[in-house]
Amino acid sequence: MNLVRVIRHSCVGLALLVGGWALLPPNGSASPHSGTSPRRNARLTLRVMPGPFYAPGITPGGVGTPNRAFADVCAAYEQLHPDVAIAIEPSLGAVREYLVTQLSAGKAPDIVMVNVEDVWADVHKGWYVPLDEYLEQPNPYCKPGQPGSLKWWDQFKYQAISRAKTAPDGKMYCITYDMVETGIFYNKAIFRQLGLAIPRTWDEFETIMSTLRAAGYTPIQMLATLYVDWAVDLFLDQLYYDILPGIDLHQDPVREVYLQGYLDYDEICFLFDRGFFTRHDPRYRELWQLIRRFRQFANKDIVSEDMLRAFITQRAAMLWSASPLCYRLAADPDIGFDWGVFYLPRFTTNTSPFASDVDMCVIGGAGVQYEVTSSAYADTGNPATSPRLAQVIDFLRFLTAPENYEKIVNEHPLMIPNIIGVPVLPLMQPFAEILQRRYTTTKWCYTFDLQFLDIISRTLPLYLDDHITLEELLSWQERNLAAARHRFARRKHIDFAPLQRRWDELAGVRATMQGLPSPPPP
Amino acid sequence: MTSLSGLIPSWPRLRHIGACYAVLCAPVALLALFVYLPVIWAFSKSLYDFEIGGEVRFVGLANYIEFFTQDPTTYVAIRNVLIFTTAAVLIRLSVPLVVAKLIISLPNERWRHFYRVLFLLPVVVSGVAVLLIWTSLIYSQNGLLNELLRALGLQRFCRTWLGDPATAMGAVIFIGFPWVGGFEVLIYYAGLAAIPETVNEAARLEGCTGVRKFLLIDIPMVMSQLKLMLVLTIIAGIQSFQNLLIVTRGGPGYATYVPGLQMYYNAFSYQRFGYACAIGVLLFFLIFGLTILNMKYFKSSEELQAST
Repeated sequence: MNLVRVIRHSCVGLALLVGGWALLPPNGSASPHSGTSPRRNARLTLRVMPGPFYAPGITPGGVGTPNRAFADVCAAYEQLHPDVAIAIEPSLGAVREYLVTQLSAGKAPDIVMVNVEDVWADVHKGWYVPLDEYLEQPNPYCKPGQPGSLKWWDQFKYQAISRAKTAPDGKMYCITYDMVETGIFYNKAIFRQLGLAIPRTWDEFETIMSTLRAAGYTPIQMLATLYVDWAVDLFLDQLYYDILPGIDLHQDPVREVYLQGYLDYDEICFLFDRGFFTRHDPRYRELWQLIRRFRQFANKDIVSEDMLRAFITQRAAMLWSASPLCYRLAADPDIGFDWGVFYLPRFTTNTSPFASDVDMCVIGGAGVQYEVTSSAYADTGNPATSPRLAQVIDFLRFLTAPENYEKIVNEHPLMIPNIIGVPVLPLMQPFAEILQRRYTTTKWCYTFDLQFLDIISRTLPLYLDDHITLEELLSWQERNLAAARHRFARRKHIDFAPLQRRWDELAGVRATMQGLPSPPPP
Repeated sequence: MTSLSGLIPSWPRLRHIGACYAVLCAPVALLALFVYLPVIWAFSKSLYDFEIGGEVRFVGLANYIEFFTQDPTTYVAIRNVLIFTTAAVLIRLSVPLVVAKLIISLPNERWRHFYRVLFLLPVVVSGVAVLLIWTSLIYSQNGLLNELLRALGLQRFCRTWLGDPATAMGAVIFIGFPWVGGFEVLIYYAGLAAIPETVNEAARLEGCTGVRKFLLIDIPMVMSQLKLMLVLTIIAGIQSFQNLLIVTRGGPGYATYVPGLQMYYNAFSYQRFGYACAIGVLLFFLIFGLTILNMKYFKSSEELQAST
């Protein structure tokens, strides 16, 4: 009896051992997202989050070879500085939630990649290091006479775009590492077959989309998030550009070079109080109706459909996406058609009586942006005396040295280089041309806070799919803006007096303009 | 008159009482530290504009005023939670009770035992797993429900059940169908089993059987259990957010958005902890108030018996 029990228990134990062994990962199979381990003997370990485009081990677009250039450059830096190790941190999906917890605990990576607009919401907490003084100093990794050898700033090719990333508090919290831009990817074969040409105006664009639809194709593939982010900004610019001289109340001397006429959150709040961006504003009403008109040409399911599949299988003739897609399309050996890229054409007065009739602006610009967190000076608690921070800045400068930079940014054609002297890869050339355009009037997604963005992201798809009416959408948006304005007035203590003075000065300019909203009753 | 010596416990009894308090000290301290202190902290922080790492500013009742007058999501969230809670109350107070009655009506104890176990077994399945099964295997575009409709030639009714604002709320309520929770069945079963045989006998002699007996005798006799389930369901309904977070994230739009989600998003997505605390405090008072009303006006079977 005892023997039976011993045998039975031994069998169970053996099964558990074998099961445990089977679950162990095989040697060398660490996830490519898991980052790299720093060397054990290093005096200083810098933690860097390079982001999804350059993180070693990640295969961009799921085709071709995985990234390795960033790791190679890190290795070169370690060789140059034997007492320093670089630990590459994995890229994360919900980067903001991760960063907030890490930053509040003082355990964030020294260098992170995040859209600097997301950083602006937290700069008053001291979580990020202003980089202005470092950008004014030379980059020691630039050869004498090269741009950057006198002033790090001089290395950056797209000066206006890069400098426009200055936070509303007047400080620069990021290095604009490269550029990204959006464009309409189109199937040349389908266009040829139907005798279609690249549109020059929005009306032509709509005619093309009608023709494509009549021929049985989905004219354009778009996700709901693109309507909320890209379409709103572009369309708003087309409708408001010609009245900016009467409503742009604040010109920032630094950012204005690139952000001509840009409307910041305080201006939006002020204009909202005067009836702009409400149901009483005919341009604002027109904005949503035009987006709804555009939506009828797009894929049926804008929430969960795989955007790329329909384009690759030639069921959809166009796809609105960004420069990184080029590599995916070029590297895929199974794509059996020619494709090209063009930019969205301008609205005309046929499109809308409020059309400004100017070229579409751009909404991309700065791509990968690197910020230095407060963890970088955790050694002394003071950025001015921190050797660790000095090393972090030195590493960032090393990353922007042209020979290192080219290895990283041009490893795959995903982004447009922002360092002088680094060539633009042929696939990125159309986007480099698009980037020459002026920037949008405002970025609604980033103007206010995350709650504002959440509400517009939830309600706009409902309107686009006819679940709510235009009036209901406008009602949501008015309440959304009113709530955001209330939060901002409470938190940021907006001083409306200078805006009021400028508003009064511009009264004569506005008197010549048509279709302005009448101010709501007090 | 009691003598003083009679009031003072003896030394062994004092030692016994002391030991009891000593044993209680640790759990009470832990309870205070991890339950009551955070609650008090939340009450106090609801009066502040407070975000992680940011400045903390006293704003008085501004967060509460914002909840009722500024936040565009408040009233839609309240409307939704009322619908969800009402549906949950109707379901949890009816279906498991009927099932418990059917089980207890079986003539054979072996079968009664078998069905009790049968209905209790699904309790061991993780709630998240159940939700994922419903979202991906049943409600998805090519899920069981749509495939069934297609097979029946009713493809015009096919849709993304959780993605359509017209059906999302109904689809969420429908999750868990046929809503026979093992826990509820056991509670009702215990209540029905506790009905004295004399009462059942009297009902039989009076000719009160079947549905009539269920409505007139059984339900009043399990009123304590119904009252417990009502309180628990209301509390769970008003607090609910995790299931909706997994299934719909409150969408599409705000079709399934509830105050619990509103609190969660404000705390962890928008980082408005002061405002989230204010929502939490309001939910606390709402639940507290409803529980008191329930205790006051919904009489248990014991209270009913006492009053007759």
